[in-house]
Amino acid sequence: MNANCFDIGMIQAFLDGELTHDESTRISSHVAACDTCALMLAEAEEESALVFPALEREFNTLVPTQRLWNKINDSIETDRNNQSIWSKAWAFLAVALANPTFAAAASVLIVIGISAAVLLNRAPEQPTVAEVVIPKTKVSTTAQIAPAGDVVVDPRSSTPYTVERASTRYDDRRITTSTAVYKTSASTNNASYMPGEESYVKTISSLSKTVETQKSETLRPSERIAYERDMAVVDDAIAKMRREVKKNPKNESAKQVLYSSYQNKIDLLNSVSQKGELMASLR
Amino acid sequence: MNNPIAKIILRIVAVSLFAAIPMLVQAQPSMPDPPSRVYGVSKKAPLPVLAPMTGGDTSEKSIAVDKNVNLSLCVTQGSLKVNGWDRSEIRVFVKDGAKFGFNVQLKSPKTNMPALINLTGLDAKTKGKYAVPTECIWGDEIEIDLPVNAVINIKGQETTTVIDTVRKATVKTIGGSINLRNIAEGAVAVTYEGDVTVESSTGAMSLESTNGNVIVFGSGPSEIGDQFKAKTNSGNVNLQKLDYRQVDVTSISGSVSYNGEILSGGSYNLSTSNGSIRMSVPVDTSCQVVASYGFGTFNYDLPLKIETENIMEGPVKRVVGKLGTGGASVRLTTNSGSIVIKKP
Repeated sequence: MNANCFDIGMIQAFLDGELTHDESTRISSHVAACDTCALMLAEAEEESALVFPALEREFNTLVPTQRLWNKINDSIETDRNNQSIWSKAWAFLAVALANPTFAAAASVLIVIGISAAVLLNRAPEQPTVAEVVIPKTKVSTTAQIAPAGDVVVDPRSSTPYTVERASTRYDDRRITTSTAVYKTSASTNNASYMPGEESYVKTISSLSKTVETQKSETLRPSERIAYERDMAVVDDAIAKMRREVKKNPKNESAKQVLYSSYQNKIDLLNSVSQKGELMASLR
Repeated sequence: MNNPIAKIILRIVAVSLFAAIPMLVQAQPSMPDPPSRVYGVSKKAPLPVLAPMTGGDTSEKSIAVDKNVNLSLCVTQGSLKVNGWDRSEIRVFVKDGAKFGFNVQLKSPKTNMPALINLTGLDAKTKGKYAVPTECIWGDEIEIDLPVNAVINIKGQETTTVIDTVRKATVKTIGGSINLRNIAEGAVAVTYEGDVTVESSTGAMSLESTNGNVIVFGSGPSEIGDQFKAKTNSGNVNLQKLDYRQVDVTSISGSVSYNGEILSGGSYNLSTSNGSIRMSVPVDTSCQVVASYGFGTFNYDLPLKIETENIMEGPVKRVVGKLGTGGASVRLTTNSGSIVIKKP
């Protein structure tokens, strides 16, 4: 044994392969020339040969120790606490979607959702309301509906005005109908009616709506001309008498003519309506 | 793309889109037709346009009936003549027209004879191409004889109607004149294009024409209280020798003419919106006259005692006067036109 010999620790590390390449080369060269070190290496090999088979069973069994388990659990817990909620959800979804049954159910749900969205998009057609404002009158309540495009005679004024009609449009493959609404102030309305006049006006309004839908079908062109002429005559009489009664409320003659003109208008409207009924009964 | 989760997601998306395509196609609303009419006009089927009917059959049928029979019929086209006779029998003759039959709906409990009959067209459906009303008859000439005590109800489309000597008549036609004679217990006549003429009839009358004239000659009540009403929108009303005590005449753009007696206690309202009113009454007439007029004049050649007069500027002028002792009430109203009361 000389000063260059290695201790048993180095010899054992050499056997276990724990040395670097240079150290291993140096030990190998030395052992080849030194009998003492060679003997030590031989003894160490014999001991390993005896010990390793005895411990082989223990070495091959990969049972984690309790400490290892604790480390693993601690690590998982730390990761879990550090994850965001989206990451957790994504992780859950990823695991769940790996199951084919769950994936199929998800597909059906998505299809149903898309269909529902499409159906909901087809919203019911709501009429677009075109408001018509009487000049110089404050608008507050809806009084009556007049057909679009027609001339409406305000019972409190001799001036007829035209109801503007909102244009029918195609938008997103939906047709939007329009309703023209004649608006007036309710308080003004009630205040301006004479006794008994309101019922005439309401009746005329109701009949007008019916007749406006019928007259184009019911009346021939010549009858239509006569009807419009007669209606103009009656409306003119109503307007004149209303002005007169407003100017002189004690003018009973004007009142009588006014009421008889209202009645004439009702009769005129009724004649169209009744003709339509007769024609329908003959179909 | 080796990530298995990404593969799963892609697979789901692909399946979903593939399944959604047919649903999307079905859910897509089809392009609606543009509105055929201006708003406010209903979308009912157009009314039938009748082509002239030709090539029908000529046939005649009769049936024994109760003398107070009620006959109803619907006539699409043709000239209809109804005549009362002294037989308990209905005879119908149709020239070049529809086949028909009698549909007995009720028998009289007393005589066990048909008392309620519908005259029904039998070949109506064969004319379906022209939308012929079912159960209506048609023909070049249609003649009906029925008991003088019969009641007849007629609905017509384009029909010239003449009814003579029946107890009661109701006629409503869309077009064509109506001529009533010798009606005993009243009549209702409505035509929307044509004249209404009534002669020598009694009973309550309601006569209406939309575009035609209403002409009445020699009629009166059959019972106390029977009213006479005549109305036209664009035509004239001409009344001669009426004996009614309640007369109500209205025209919108036509004139009104009354020639006859004013009976004591009677009420006579003649009005037009745009036309003149002329009354010819006996000199010894007693009535209170209220004449209201707008643009126009009021003239009279009878001894009318003016009670009140308002002929100031304005849309309504009013004259109240009295003839004789004033036993009846006469109201004459026109918005634009003259009022004349004169001797016959």
